[in-house]
Amino acid sequence: MMQTRTLTTLNTSRTPQMIFWGVRWSALIYLSVLIALPLIVISVEGLRGGIWSFWDSITRPAALSAIFISVWTAALMTVINMIMGTLTAYVLVQYRFPGKRWLDSLIDLPFAIPTLVTGVMLILLYGPQTPIGGWIEDQFGMRIVFSSPGIVLALLFLGYPFVIRAVQPVLASLDIHQQEAAYTLGASSWLTFRRIVFPAILPAMITGGLLSFARALGEFGSIVIVSGNIPMRSQTAAVYIYGQVESGNLAAASSVSLVLMAIALLTTLLVDYLARRRTAHA
Amino acid sequence: MRKFVLIGLVLSYAGVLLLAPMLALVINLLEYGLDTIWAAITTPEALLALRLSLILALCSVMINTVMGVLIAWVLVRHQFWGKRFFNAVVDLPFVVSPVIVGYVLIVLFGRQGWLSGFPVQLAFSTAGMLLVTVFVSLPFVIREVMPVLAAITPEQEEAAFTLGASHTLTFRRILLPILWPSILYGIVLTLARSLGEFGAAAVAGGGVQGVTETATIYVYRALQDRNDVGAYSIAVILGLMAVGILILMNWLRPQEGKKHVD
Amino acid sequence: MRKLWLWVILLMSFAPTQAQTQPITLTLAAYAVPREAYAKIIPLFQADWLRQTGQEVIFEESYLASGAQSRAVVGGFAADVVALSHEQHVTNIVNAGLITADWQDNPYNGMVSASVAVLVVRPGNPREIFDWADIAQPGIEVITPDPATSGGAQWNVMGAYGAAYRGQVEGYEAGEAGALQFITDVFINVSVMDADGRESFLTFERGIGDVAITYENEYFAGLAAGGEYEIIYPSSTILIENPVAVVDVYVDQNGTREVAEAFVAFLYTPEAQAAFAESGFRPPVIQIDPDIDVTPEVEPTPEATAEGETQFPVIEDLFTIEDFGGWEVVVPSIFGDDGIYTRMIAEVKGQ
Repeated sequence: MMQTRTLTTLNTSRTPQMIFWGVRWSALIYLSVLIALPLIVISVEGLRGGIWSFWDSITRPAALSAIFISVWTAALMTVINMIMGTLTAYVLVQYRFPGKRWLDSLIDLPFAIPTLVTGVMLILLYGPQTPIGGWIEDQFGMRIVFSSPGIVLALLFLGYPFVIRAVQPVLASLDIHQQEAAYTLGASSWLTFRRIVFPAILPAMITGGLLSFARALGEFGSIVIVSGNIPMRSQTAAVYIYGQVESGNLAAASSVSLVLMAIALLTTLLVDYLARRRTAHA
Repeated sequence: MRKFVLIGLVLSYAGVLLLAPMLALVINLLEYGLDTIWAAITTPEALLALRLSLILALCSVMINTVMGVLIAWVLVRHQFWGKRFFNAVVDLPFVVSPVIVGYVLIVLFGRQGWLSGFPVQLAFSTAGMLLVTVFVSLPFVIREVMPVLAAITPEQEEAAFTLGASHTLTFRRILLPILWPSILYGIVLTLARSLGEFGAAAVAGGGVQGVTETATIYVYRALQDRNDVGAYSIAVILGLMAVGILILMNWLRPQEGKKHVD
Repeated sequence: MRKLWLWVILLMSFAPTQAQTQPITLTLAAYAVPREAYAKIIPLFQADWLRQTGQEVIFEESYLASGAQSRAVVGGFAADVVALSHEQHVTNIVNAGLITADWQDNPYNGMVSASVAVLVVRPGNPREIFDWADIAQPGIEVITPDPATSGGAQWNVMGAYGAAYRGQVEGYEAGEAGALQFITDVFINVSVMDADGRESFLTFERGIGDVAITYENEYFAGLAAGGEYEIIYPSSTILIENPVAVVDVYVDQNGTREVAEAFVAFLYTPEAQAAFAESGFRPPVIQIDPDIDVTPEVEPTPEATAEGETQFPVIEDLFTIEDFGGWEVVVPSIFGDDGIYTRMIAEVKGQ
């Protein structure tokens, strides 16, 4: 007993250094192997035929439009969710109402549910043979599932928690007194929101929005079930990549993956930058 | 007045977006009757698929928790060249198409792959499926732990040190209690993501029934086989697991708002 | 309690030694559609093998899209037997050096089942679709899988393309230009392209589209599952042939050559072919004679037979992929990066 004790005290002088290096290197090597290796494979495969064949692969009409469709559906989703997400967060923080706790826990559902199951659920709800899907098609001549609205809907489901979970803590930490002061000083509540609340939560809104955007770009499981997969119309980049992999065209698949990753990486860097600026301001 | 409009708006949006699809699934399933559902769940293939999903998810949680805390620690506490780069690439698994992840595994470890001499059979095996699952769920623990770790001042740790506590003791007594809620939350997210993985696992495992077929792959195949009961019942089980995970999340979610007391 | 466990362990340790021979595991990598047929054939084969050799065969089965399966085998998925939808997918495995013997060295050219590309419409045929030409009419919604991912979709495209090429589609000139015009008009009408043949037909079942281009066997499988639709046989269409092969390198590795070859041979027996026919597959065609004869060798099953009709009607003008030079020519020239189809689809859907 006594002996082990002396041992530990002795070790504290020397082990920190060793633990320090050991921890750092094991973490960095692990990260490099796990992340860098796939990255290298994709880059090498994408650029194997030279920069021109890479350019060729990504400027092929079907590829270009798939990237474009991914970006616009994700962007549309992001905009809608930034509005609805902020609203939801606002309601959750400001008001008390029955079922609030339920709503609050329900919001994480998209994090937890397998996206493939999301796709199945959407087909069962909005498919052309279901009452709702049939009604919408009859009334508005619009098809939800197997078409681009289905993609946006699946992404909306997926992205809903991101903005809320980013905005909620900021809203909660806002000084209520500040708001009340402005309010009693005669400012309308809308003005209060615009002048005081909005600027404070805007960075969080953007961070959450961009995160959901990046997440939506790579989404596959639900889209593969819900989209019509028509090249140039309703085929997203992730599904296009799947098609290229399936038909043995690994170079094209890797090239488009590289573009997607670049977009996503830029987005996350932007998030990083915004977060840094926010903490610098605070 | 405005309060009720806003609440109504949010509740109906959340209801349509989140609740309605779940209800549609459950209602469609219940039409088959409980006996049929029970029979569909207890087929050996379905049970094996569920078991594989659980095993993969639990293993991936263990690996990602230990390595995630270590990586978070290094990224927050250590200063080194390329740190910002590492910080940025941690999120990569969120955005790489999972099909590509599976395919990269085959390119690396498949027959005549770049690393085909690797002693462990990774391509088309459960080991490979674990590897891709670990990959896609890597960021969660790291991202949950990092901000909390950053908020603890090194002085607190050092104070413990100088008082004679060993490294492990400092970690166990000082850091772990503070980090624990965020680690748990990360674990739960990792669990959810691993259970739901489809594209990467399907490509990496080859989808052999009863061998490399996970619950999500089973759902996909059952749909193709017109085995709707099988597909919906396993989908609902996955959904119920999701709800279970949800309840855990709600318990564990770092309440940043409440903690905001100086 | 402890005693019970001991017994279990004891029994488990004895079980293998009690059997006369070690059971052998055979891995089958197949495309998704004939799953029902294999579910019937495999127990028959297991019984047969047990009777002949006293050995139990355990099957590990994987059903994926044909192209994915082929890639998986090339990538190291050590399947003993592959059963795919498309000859090209076997060729890929041959090119990877995994199939070394001449897998087409049998009277059927290595093909184990056959089918034809057909049109399936809603009950009562409300849009009055009777032949290829009708699906190119403006306003008809067509469903077919994506040729990029689905071998079956390539059969469908070649069925439509070939019929027009041979001058069998009303309103389109024979030859390449007419054929291209025809598939262009058809794909203008295509609204959903799923990843594989089964998924595409399920989309049609879910109520999308007026007509599905699919395979005869897919129609029969759907019918058996309670689907309600009608089959339209085009006057001219392509004979779909599905290859099966033993993967030489893997069977030698796994020590399963004998049983794998026996299994493939078993697929041609009347019992196995009856199971294929029940799932709606035509028997493979004996390819010694260039004049193709598709009279069924197998009695049609009562449940799949419509009133008065035989299960597999004779097609007026049936052609094969060999008429277009075989898949090794068609895949690059039609479906390659710069192929006729690839350029056409970008143009049609790009507007």
